[in-house]
Amino acid sequence: MTAIYREHAMTKILGGLLGLAVIGSAVGCNTDNITNTNHNPNSPTSAPAGALFANATVNAIRRWVVFGSGAVVTQQFSSVLYPTVDSYVSVQADGTSGSFTSAYTSDLADYRQVISAGKSASQAGIYGPAMVMSAWDFSNLTDQWGDVPYSEALKADSGIVTPKYDAQKDIYAGMFASFRQAATDMAAVPSGAPTLGSSDPIYGGNLAKWRRFANSLRVRYAMRLVNVDPATTNAELKAAFADPGGVFQSNADNALMAWPGDGVYDNPFSTSVASRLDVRVAKTLTDQMVNDPRLSVYAMPVADSSVYKNGYGGEPSGISADSAAKWFKLASWPGARFGPGVTSYGVYGTSDGRKAPSYVMTYAELMFLRAEAAERGLGGLASSEAATDYYTAIRASMAQWGVTNEAAITAFLATPAIAYKGGVAGLKQIATQNWIALFSDSPQVWAEWRRTCQPSTVVPGPTAIVPYVPRRYYYATTEALVNGDNLRAAIARQGPDNFGTRIYWDSKPANAPTCQ
Amino acid sequence: MLPEGDQTMKRRCILASAVVGWIITLPTIAHAQSATVAGRVTTETGEGIPAANVSIGGSSLGALTNDQGQYSISIPAARMTGAAVVVTARRIGYAAKSVSVVPSAGATATANFTLSVLPTGLEGVVITALGVERQKSQLGTAQQEISSEALNATRSQNFVDQFSGKVAGMTITGSGTPGGSTKITIRGSNSINGDNTPLFIVDGVPVSNDDRGSSYNQGSLTNASSPGIDLGSVINDIDPEDVETISVLKGPNAAALYGSRAANGVIVITTKSGKNTGGRLQTEATSTYSFDNATKFMDWQNLYGQGTAGKFSYVDGRGNGVNDAAAESWGPKMDGRLIAQFDSPIVNGVRQPTPWVPHPDNADSFFQTGNSLTNNISVTGGTDNAKGRLSFGNTQIHSVIPNSSFNNLSSALSGSYHSGRFTASGSVQYAQNRAYNRPPDGYNTSIVQQFLWWGRQVNMQSLKNQYYTPNGGLFNWNSTFHNNPYWLMYENPEYDERNRLIGTVTSNYAVTDWLSATLRGGQDYYNWDINRNFAQGNIQWTNPSYAGAFSDANQGSTQSNVDLLLNASKSIASHLSMNGLLGGTLRRTVFANSNISTPGISVPGIYNVSNAAITPTVQQFSTDQRVNSVYGSAAFTYNDWWTVEGTGRTDWSSTLPAHHNSYFYPGVNTSMVLTNAMPSLRGRVLSYAKVRGAYARVGADATPYQLQTVFQGSTSKFGSIPLFSLADNLANANLKPELTTSAEAGAELGFYDNRITIDASYYAKDTRNQILNLVIPPTSGYGTQAINAGRIANKGFEATLGVTPLRDAHGLDWTSTFNYATNHSRVVTLTPGLTSVTLASQWSATLTAAAGQPYGQIMGYKYLRDSTTGSLITSGGLPVRGPLSVLGNVNPTWVGGWNNQFKYKRFNAGFLLDFHEGGKIFSTTNMMCDQSGQCANTLRGREVDWNNPGVVVNGIDKATGKPNTTNVTSEQYFLSLWLIHEQYTYDDSYIKLREARLGYDLPASLTRRFYAQGATLSLVGRNLFTHSKLPNIDPEFTYGTGNSQGFEYATLPTNRSIGLTLHVTP
Repeated sequence: MTAIYREHAMTKILGGLLGLAVIGSAVGCNTDNITNTNHNPNSPTSAPAGALFANATVNAIRRWVVFGSGAVVTQQFSSVLYPTVDSYVSVQADGTSGSFTSAYTSDLADYRQVISAGKSASQAGIYGPAMVMSAWDFSNLTDQWGDVPYSEALKADSGIVTPKYDAQKDIYAGMFASFRQAATDMAAVPSGAPTLGSSDPIYGGNLAKWRRFANSLRVRYAMRLVNVDPATTNAELKAAFADPGGVFQSNADNALMAWPGDGVYDNPFSTSVASRLDVRVAKTLTDQMVNDPRLSVYAMPVADSSVYKNGYGGEPSGISADSAAKWFKLASWPGARFGPGVTSYGVYGTSDGRKAPSYVMTYAELMFLRAEAAERGLGGLASSEAATDYYTAIRASMAQWGVTNEAAITAFLATPAIAYKGGVAGLKQIATQNWIALFSDSPQVWAEWRRTCQPSTVVPGPTAIVPYVPRRYYYATTEALVNGDNLRAAIARQGPDNFGTRIYWDSKPANAPTCQ
Repeated sequence: MLPEGDQTMKRRCILASAVVGWIITLPTIAHAQSATVAGRVTTETGEGIPAANVSIGGSSLGALTNDQGQYSISIPAARMTGAAVVVTARRIGYAAKSVSVVPSAGATATANFTLSVLPTGLEGVVITALGVERQKSQLGTAQQEISSEALNATRSQNFVDQFSGKVAGMTITGSGTPGGSTKITIRGSNSINGDNTPLFIVDGVPVSNDDRGSSYNQGSLTNASSPGIDLGSVINDIDPEDVETISVLKGPNAAALYGSRAANGVIVITTKSGKNTGGRLQTEATSTYSFDNATKFMDWQNLYGQGTAGKFSYVDGRGNGVNDAAAESWGPKMDGRLIAQFDSPIVNGVRQPTPWVPHPDNADSFFQTGNSLTNNISVTGGTDNAKGRLSFGNTQIHSVIPNSSFNNLSSALSGSYHSGRFTASGSVQYAQNRAYNRPPDGYNTSIVQQFLWWGRQVNMQSLKNQYYTPNGGLFNWNSTFHNNPYWLMYENPEYDERNRLIGTVTSNYAVTDWLSATLRGGQDYYNWDINRNFAQGNIQWTNPSYAGAFSDANQGSTQSNVDLLLNASKSIASHLSMNGLLGGTLRRTVFANSNISTPGISVPGIYNVSNAAITPTVQQFSTDQRVNSVYGSAAFTYNDWWTVEGTGRTDWSSTLPAHHNSYFYPGVNTSMVLTNAMPSLRGRVLSYAKVRGAYARVGADATPYQLQTVFQGSTSKFGSIPLFSLADNLANANLKPELTTSAEAGAELGFYDNRITIDASYYAKDTRNQILNLVIPPTSGYGTQAINAGRIANKGFEATLGVTPLRDAHGLDWTSTFNYATNHSRVVTLTPGLTSVTLASQWSATLTAAAGQPYGQIMGYKYLRDSTTGSLITSGGLPVRGPLSVLGNVNPTWVGGWNNQFKYKRFNAGFLLDFHEGGKIFSTTNMMCDQSGQCANTLRGREVDWNNPGVVVNGIDKATGKPNTTNVTSEQYFLSLWLIHEQYTYDDSYIKLREARLGYDLPASLTRRFYAQGATLSLVGRNLFTHSKLPNIDPEFTYGTGNSQGFEYATLPTNRSIGLTLHVTP
């Protein structure tokens, strides 16, 4: 009996163990393929270059080409409700860190993917535009923050998790190299070779226009160095003008983003004013635009004309919240063409404002820079060319902003303040008119103002937290937390991380004739 | 989705293993001539105790009692020695008892037992890992039980809130909203970025505790970055009335057999099952009706109204009047002067100024008295062989917020069939949760936020009476930043519905009297529809050019689990017995989410995709995760006092790379019942003494899809151009499992015949190789990177003290339990070059895990101070923001609960106090209240003609270095405190009277009229009283169960509820 009992027991133990072995084998036959379960069904591990390029470009233009802090601190805009940008309070790290970090993680990372995919396939029609846009994107970072990660940036997937901060001088050298190589390589693209085509929201894959844009940007950034490194300025200008691709020929070459205006992808300026009712044009801007036919484009007539009898005028910058509130109806809103139509607080502007283009660079700006170069005898240009270029630039700007009244334009150009004077006075006119023409292009109006000191009426308001207009932004808070060593090295080289430290191209104001 | 062939193959594998495993364990009958030991196990009042375990010492022979408490054990002839045997009876919640009998062949020896209830369960049978019942005296690990009675002493709006204060070492924070989130941690947080909440098991099968919290993203509605409604956790689908017991396995040691997800502890829920009723049906019912009220309101000021710089006049609420766009109360004094207001009458187009007077109740009167009605009815019936139970439950909550309600419908069916050696059982729980208009929280749409930026003069009645102007616009006191709160709740309906089905099937075969095989399958499925609609004119969430907006999400989750277990319980030598287990598990979790939203519709009120004016955004997301496991354990008990147990488990996870996807983890534990080893220790004072110790390791895998960096497609095309972007997270193809090791030691002591008991544990845990989505420098091109790094050490002490201060012959009985726990965490290391990981951020304050510091440090700006004297530095008479610094830790220094139960004749009563000592929070509500001039403390320095006009900050002037003498206005002063987080970081200590109950057992003469044996009517209350030094807000708040804790914004107050419960027993 006992023996039988044991035998049964043994059978069952063995049986049980066998059962376990079976489950073990089931586990085993699953483990062969278990990692297949982990193939992500939601997102691919590669994506079309065009879709990446378009996404990066939408993000970059949304971020930079909008009325931002730069346009407020250089007093093209002001606020009547919470004037904390006017006083520079919200221009500190809390207010600007997001732009800095997302430029790297969203658009620059995507441009890098397009460039590496395009280069490995030797398709300059793909990587050329991405190189141009990437260099332009980096310029916005270095112009507003100073030394930033560049040569080691965007390479976490190659093991560089904490990139060093490059000196601005070196970043500029890299940007020039990018523009040069992009223009050269795009020139060599045979017809029929792949381009970005309709995925290029700027030029629709037209490489001739991309070459002009690359060379025009090269002119812009060459001029930016004029106070610290005129030799480079001269060399880059000459190279840009000599490139067979040429520079912008007319407004038809403008690098712009035409927005669908579908409620999802709207002109970012119109999106901003749609969600707030406190944006006004600044008095500093409207004071510079007396008799300017563009004033009625840039600004709306005031609701209450007790201060501005002619119907247009801006709010003083940097005043207290209490004083600012009084300007609610006394100062002009930004022009109707930027308005989104119906907003939560009423109707503002036209709904077409959502489709208004964002300008990355214009023919007008190129001609102002050319006029300046000519006046200073740079880039192989003669000073005699300055006046013509200056007038061409103003006329291009008028056309760009939709001013077509020839009589008014002619009369405006003839007014004593506008008629070209030549010399340092001429340079001041060029700088001021460029600043006006660049309306709402925040990084450019701020950079050009710092470089030229024009208009000189931009001075801090009474509530400003520093007694000068900020020369740069504070570095991003995330970088301080997780890339501290490299950031500290940059600060040690460049100067304290505050509004007052002058970045490389801004470091020799004494060399700027228009600042004297 | 996998290729079809692949799936089929896997299904075959599972089936093959299950079927073959089962066939092998098919019954073979073997019987032997025997002696019999039989008898009855009863309570002190003579009722039979069912399912008690009666065993014969030194052998593996034993039996369970039937529903009358009767048992019978036959002893095979071969096992007869002729000597006396010790027969022991054990049951959860009762003290075990032993008697000696002498069995003789062919005869029946009788052994009856009368068991007494244990106040705090030092001994008895408990349910441990994988549903295995074990003697508590043999456990080397810490675990604690909650009985159905203790769990349901009072009813909360959320099931898991009812755990509060009842388990030492469990920290619970509720959200205060019906169906909202409750954050639970046991013994602190182990993981930096991962899940720190415990694993829930229902009837042996893991179930989902997914939590949407407030982080639930509504898609790409215009400006909708964080719409913030707390959608809560799906564990609330369990109806607490269906719960028989809850065992809390506190650490990795107790939970090692549950594998990956057990490092945070395990909550094992056993639901009620059928009983042998002799074939009759028995009905049990419970009903509770309670009134709910908000517990805490802001301390408002009622002297100054809307405006800035003391000035205000209304024209359109958009800035066209005098400061009428301002959402602040820095306006004129409310002294009855005449001012044009939003509700002033308009006569001939001219707004007639009306008296400017306070409405002290305006914000608070928005809250109403809510009510909750909870019903549960169950029917039980069965015979010796077949048993079943069916229950229905229903909860209806009308919130303290107008037009917000929450409904739960639940049903549970369980049954078992027993024949010979074969037992089959199954249970199904169905729950339907319907939430209508969950109150929004967080910034912008939050109800409380509407009152933080507000005009103190606003007459609430005007807003309640009317929310459209005659020409169809929105009628409100402000038209720039805020919505009429009534309009928000009545015109923007949120609706979500979740259907949940949890089913388990278990079959058990007793292969021999010491070996059994169990095959168990379970599935947990839910589907959740979440709709949010935004009416035209909604300031934050709609594109104003359109007629409204909506978002509609649908989520589904399925967890399935198949276990095959072999259980052995055998005496292997004299004085030595063994409990062993071998098993394997296949587990799969599938989740899918789809979401359609548009920021603009054409026709108002039709929230359907066919009405989209802006091309809708469609999002899709799904995950699939598998873990296969084999495991085993063996426990050896010597002479009934010394037990040593070893455990081992290997997991294969789909989420780790092939070369790292399996991981083995061992555990060992021991317990010694000293009073059994040395009976001389037992005396008048010491009645029971046990010491225990354990060591274990637990592995954890990654969340799915972290091995390959991906590109994310945009949900909306740019014109006709598709958009893609490189993901922000850099994947890692070499991830390794996360490992937690834990050691614990404990003692369980009983004094004075167990009228005083102490159960205490000390533990140390260490989690390494943490899988982090580490924040890396954005300049590297990625925001985060998946890595293995970081080590967190937790050590702590927890104790439960049980006392029975009174138990007299007149029926007076008082038991008192105090739970206490303290935990210290330290982030030992992160990764080279990294000193800090950000867990959350709000208004520039961050919650961090920083190397060398405790987990969960709040970092924020301090005041700028003089480095030598510590005085404030002022500039222009105002304080200055200083450096970013550590402001404190969010975790409490200790938590506890003091639970008291009284009985006297027909009366019974109880109360529970919850203690939460220490821990810091950053309160944005208080910061905003100061900014906007709403709170009473902003009256400081308002009146210019007081003796000390304005505010002179006590500090040193930055420019002169001399004491500050500059007088600033109250408004300037409070505005200057913006983002000085130090000012708004508070000690979060509190004591809450969590539960109180007074019950009366109705006389049988009365209850018989209702065909009931007994009935108890109780007056119950929850959250009756809170002691806290925290101004303006409830110290207990959460927005979700994630690791982002300690940041408060516009939190809804916890509800105080008072009600009546009627419990009818068959």
